[in-house]
Amino acid sequence: MIRFGEEEEAMATVMEKPGVGIAKDQREFVEVCKRTGDVVIVEKQVDWDLELGAISRRATEIDGPAVVFNNIKDYPGQSIFVNPISTWRRAAITLGLPPHARVPEIYAEYIRRDANPFEPTLVKDAASRDVIIKGDKVDLTELATPLIHEGDGGRYLGTWCIVVSKDPDTGWMNWGTYRFMLHNKQHLTGWPFAPSHLGTMLRTKYLPKNMKMPIAIVMGADQSSHLASTSSTRKGRDEASLAGGLAGRSIEIVKALDSDLTFPACAEIVLEGEILPDQVAMEGPYGEYPGYRSGEMGAGILMKVNTIAHKKNPMLSMDCTGYKDCSSTVTALGGGIGVQRKLEQAGLPVTGVYIPSEGAVHLFIVGVKKGHGGRATTVKILDELTDNRTYATKILVVEDDVDIFNLGEVLHAWSTRCHSGRGTFVKYVEGSAQQLTPCYDHEERARRAGAVAAFDVTWPPSWDPTEIPIKATFQAMYPESIKKKVLDNWKSYGF
Amino acid sequence: MEYLAHVKHLTDLQEGKKVVLTIRDLSPGKQKYLARVARVEVSRQPEALSKWDTLWAHSVVGFKDPQPWGMKIVEELGPTVPGQPYSDIYEALAKM
Repeated sequence: MIRFGEEEEAMATVMEKPGVGIAKDQREFVEVCKRTGDVVIVEKQVDWDLELGAISRRATEIDGPAVVFNNIKDYPGQSIFVNPISTWRRAAITLGLPPHARVPEIYAEYIRRDANPFEPTLVKDAASRDVIIKGDKVDLTELATPLIHEGDGGRYLGTWCIVVSKDPDTGWMNWGTYRFMLHNKQHLTGWPFAPSHLGTMLRTKYLPKNMKMPIAIVMGADQSSHLASTSSTRKGRDEASLAGGLAGRSIEIVKALDSDLTFPACAEIVLEGEILPDQVAMEGPYGEYPGYRSGEMGAGILMKVNTIAHKKNPMLSMDCTGYKDCSSTVTALGGGIGVQRKLEQAGLPVTGVYIPSEGAVHLFIVGVKKGHGGRATTVKILDELTDNRTYATKILVVEDDVDIFNLGEVLHAWSTRCHSGRGTFVKYVEGSAQQLTPCYDHEERARRAGAVAAFDVTWPPSWDPTEIPIKATFQAMYPESIKKKVLDNWKSYGF
Repeated sequence: MEYLAHVKHLTDLQEGKKVVLTIRDLSPGKQKYLARVARVEVSRQPEALSKWDTLWAHSVVGFKDPQPWGMKIVEELGPTVPGQPYSDIYEALAKM
């Protein structure tokens, strides 16, 4: 139930003091969500073996609230916060906006904060160190880790997590969000996409020297840090500073116990260990953000966990991945803006990029300035978005008279303006395609091969502007005076 | 005991054939689904189904074969497999 009165009250502080009212840790975020009606606290006992996942999956598919499970079978004293940012409402709350903020407003706020980063503050005390377990005493089965979907390869512990790694040459600290599952008591297997920042670092900097890669998996931090971790930032950019920008304040970070990796000091639980360069184990399959369990051929990475540190009664964090999950929502935000930046830097006349969660990070909608579309622009956009990481399989290039955030309007434009012959461009890629894309066959997945189609949904620049078809809509086909009169009198007509 | 295993193709499991699998223990409790690597023999003969452990096979996308196998562990091969990150685990297991 959405209670708008309480919602306004809850957000009032934020609106008056930007950056102050943004939740500073996971528990504070839950409290704000309680007041706005965006979280359900489940006290009834639930089974970690599928029941918890099924509840969470249904909740996100109906655009429902986040969930805190406080009573998990076999795990008294532990709780799990599920689906933190799987709706635009909670994306808005993360940024301190009113929950009913429109998507373009959320984008605009993200862009503003992204441009104003705050360097992190290194502190000594970590909230997660009430309990420290090291070495042979590490037992991952002591953590409430659900089997999320039937048929998954195992129990996924890392879903809404910050995975920390470091470039040994440049010192760049990378925060990313990648999946990790329990293999046995002391090992996790994970699947960071091989061309991802972490995957590239591992393959190019550690494996050639047969070096173990230090790694930390952080759960239950502030949502600004989680959001920064999921962003599509350029290699070398400090995600901790981006998190500070998103939070409007410097994020407190702390050094790991076993390495010089750093992460949010407010986290509920941290796993420290190493990626092994010479051992592997089965990873996946797993129901993922494209909305399918596609089968990635078990080709993941293996982490030996050396240390677990957590709060006394830790609240883990989880993204119940699948159709309309946190991944697709936050990628719509940070990813969309990242793509826009990239296209702008390439000199393209971009006005905005939307990656709707319904398209599961496979559909990019790119707005361009009116009169600057056409074949050349579309092909250049296609080239820019098929580099070393090719996530999109469909790109729609629309003019800025189409609201890219209005899927009905976009669909109408695509159906009517895009010439199915001369307006469709297909590019095949090798070595960069996303292996999770459901329509790729197993051979393509193994080669990371695929294809991207770009659709020119713009009017050809060569057309005479006085002969371009005019939309047959209320907005486009009537004089302003008539529109005003109709709107002013709308109720009096009997509507 | 009951186990599950994911295989590249369900047809990789054949009557009386020995194969290396990552098997997951389905015993209830906190340690359910923990994995280890083992060389196993599988069979659907009534004798095997009644006296051996039960194996539920899943395909590469997690499709569960509705008909179980009888499974006998021939050799325990430890928790992990030699290989570089991002290796095809099915190929790595086949080399064991």
